[in-house]
Amino acid sequence: MVVKRKRETTVVSKPQAKEDSPPPVDNAQDVFRRLFEAQFEPLDLPGPTAKSTNSDEENEDDDDSDLSGSESDWDGMSDISDESNQVEVVEHTGTYAAPTDKMDKKTWKAFMSGKLLSDLDKPSTEPEPTSKKEEEEDAHESANLKHDLALQRLLKESHLLDSADDLAPTGKNRLKALDLRMQSLGAKTSLYAQTKMPTAHRRGIKAKAESKEDRRRQEAKENGIILEKPSKVQKSSNNGRRDRGLAGSSVGKFSGGTLNLNKDDIARVQASGRRMMGGRGKGKTRGARGGRGGSKR
Amino acid sequence: MATSQPPLRFTSHHNLVYRLVLSTLTGRTVHISQIRSSSPTNPGLAPHEISFLRLLDAITNGSQMEISYTGTVLVYKPGLVTGSTTGTGASGGMITYELPSNCNRGLSYFLIPLCLLAPFAKAPMKVLFTGPGVITSSTPTGDMSVDSVRTAILPLYKQFGIFNNIELRILRRSNTGPTGRGGGGEVQLVFGHQVRLPKTLHLMNAGRIKRIRGVVYSVGVSGSNNARMIETARGILNPLSPDTYIFSDVASAPLVPAPDKTNPQAKKKIGLGFGLSLVAESSTGCLFSADVASPPSGGQAPEEIGKQCAFQLLETVAKGGCVAPAAVTTMFILMTMGSEDVGRLQVGRDVIADPNVVQLARDLSKFGAPGWGIRDAPDNGDGDVIVSVVGRGIGNVGRKVA
Repeated sequence: MVVKRKRETTVVSKPQAKEDSPPPVDNAQDVFRRLFEAQFEPLDLPGPTAKSTNSDEENEDDDDSDLSGSESDWDGMSDISDESNQVEVVEHTGTYAAPTDKMDKKTWKAFMSGKLLSDLDKPSTEPEPTSKKEEEEDAHESANLKHDLALQRLLKESHLLDSADDLAPTGKNRLKALDLRMQSLGAKTSLYAQTKMPTAHRRGIKAKAESKEDRRRQEAKENGIILEKPSKVQKSSNNGRRDRGLAGSSVGKFSGGTLNLNKDDIARVQASGRRMMGGRGKGKTRGARGGRGGSKR
Repeated sequence: MATSQPPLRFTSHHNLVYRLVLSTLTGRTVHISQIRSSSPTNPGLAPHEISFLRLLDAITNGSQMEISYTGTVLVYKPGLVTGSTTGTGASGGMITYELPSNCNRGLSYFLIPLCLLAPFAKAPMKVLFTGPGVITSSTPTGDMSVDSVRTAILPLYKQFGIFNNIELRILRRSNTGPTGRGGGGEVQLVFGHQVRLPKTLHLMNAGRIKRIRGVVYSVGVSGSNNARMIETARGILNPLSPDTYIFSDVASAPLVPAPDKTNPQAKKKIGLGFGLSLVAESSTGCLFSADVASPPSGGQAPEEIGKQCAFQLLETVAKGGCVAPAAVTTMFILMTMGSEDVGRLQVGRDVIADPNVVQLARDLSKFGAPGWGIRDAPDNGDGDVIVSVVGRGIGNVGRKVA
């Protein structure tokens, strides 16, 4: 098969050579030189041999006078070459095993696994474009997220911006906005809620807030506006009793991170198993103390 | 499935497998007589046909088959396609099916009909084919390779809405054994997408070939055979389709037990050879495949195989239409099983003129399917025809009950 192909190629190439350029089959340089001279100045080379100059003259003659004569001449030459020194053109087609043609192992694995072809071709072709796309999409996504966040903040803090013309609040507004954000993130109270103040002061604030709320409700009622139900004032859940943590244990005294037991406490703990009476006795004494206190009142 | 209808009567062994498949899908009893009755040496059912009956028995529940003494008459009363449910021969959700060593058909002979039944099973179909008769390559008997089944047949189910969890793993490769019989391969089919009815198909644009993929395999012989096949095949195909890739797989020869007097544990190598499977995919998802493997007698150069396969692929594509000849049976049966709607499929004239397809059409009409409408494809110079197939709306009997 390979041999056949070779022959075909030679056969094809021959007639072309005959038709296109019959005279200069043997002297390709002349062709180029003439081409060059046609475009530029004629060359005066010392190199060209007598033969080449001859051929030049001949060619010029051909161009001027008759083509047929010279053609017949060169046909004879080509015939001779056809028979005797035929140039064998070897076509080497084994260029397909270039390293770029070989698929990487991952693709191979994907293809050779039991999965169907239709599912497989996607990963084999897509990864490069997707990586680019993904990057773009990621950038888009993050930009969108940023915008979303900014919008949400703007909506939440818009009441602070009434006076300000800038979207990014500054000064007092910035601090307030920060405080709001903290609260939205889970802070229990505002950073600026005053923790310590005189009782009278606090009472005044409370009373003022209550009166304000009352007035609002009153006005709403008069105008026939239905308001939300008043939130019940939460009483502190531990009725008068403060949660004292570890210090609330019934034995000893907790101070400075340590539970201090005095002798009495130790004795009481040790005795609690056997001598219930003693414990009771102490309890009684305590009760007596309480009684005393009560009498005081 | 009990039917009061009389059995459908068929003769000869031609198209036996698809008759049995249609019988199972429609629930009609079939009576097939004169199976190779004229053959003086090998009358009756061939080993691979018996194997197929056993496979049907393994994946169905309640099917009965009676074979006459000479094997020339078969009565098959189908059961329900259960798939691989535990308790019906499956262990660990997988039916292990062993093929005997005298099997001379490639595994695709069993796989393609099995895949036709699998979408209509009750449970996912998981079958492991083992034994000394599993030939994964293409065979001289005209079966395609398992690679082609995976790359050219199974993707077609996607067009019917069946695509989830379908896998075909080739665990061990094997070519045809030395006498054209036996192999030692191991193949696992997982068909996990069961549907009530396949979707109606309208496929009338073949598109243009956009890529060619292939698998080249050598079993127990030098991997350089692969390179040689690839080189020749690509030499032909690359100028026509630049997106051509052929994957190479070199496997060692499978060993099958061959006990003799002195050594009962003896094993022998089987299924040596090489082969090539090519698949061309068109821009609309139509698939055309070609398969050539070295003959069991040997004596063919890898270059020859590669060239044959490439030319075979070109020939398949040249036949036109949207379906390759190897897949046309699958397509028509699935279309017939689809919902009661007219599906259309454009096929090449040469493809539908195949005697097997004509026989299939006759069998289908015998099973009660309406006839096909055939008309010339408009504005198409290739002489393709459009076949309109009305679905029977039977689909999955098992699903209907369950």
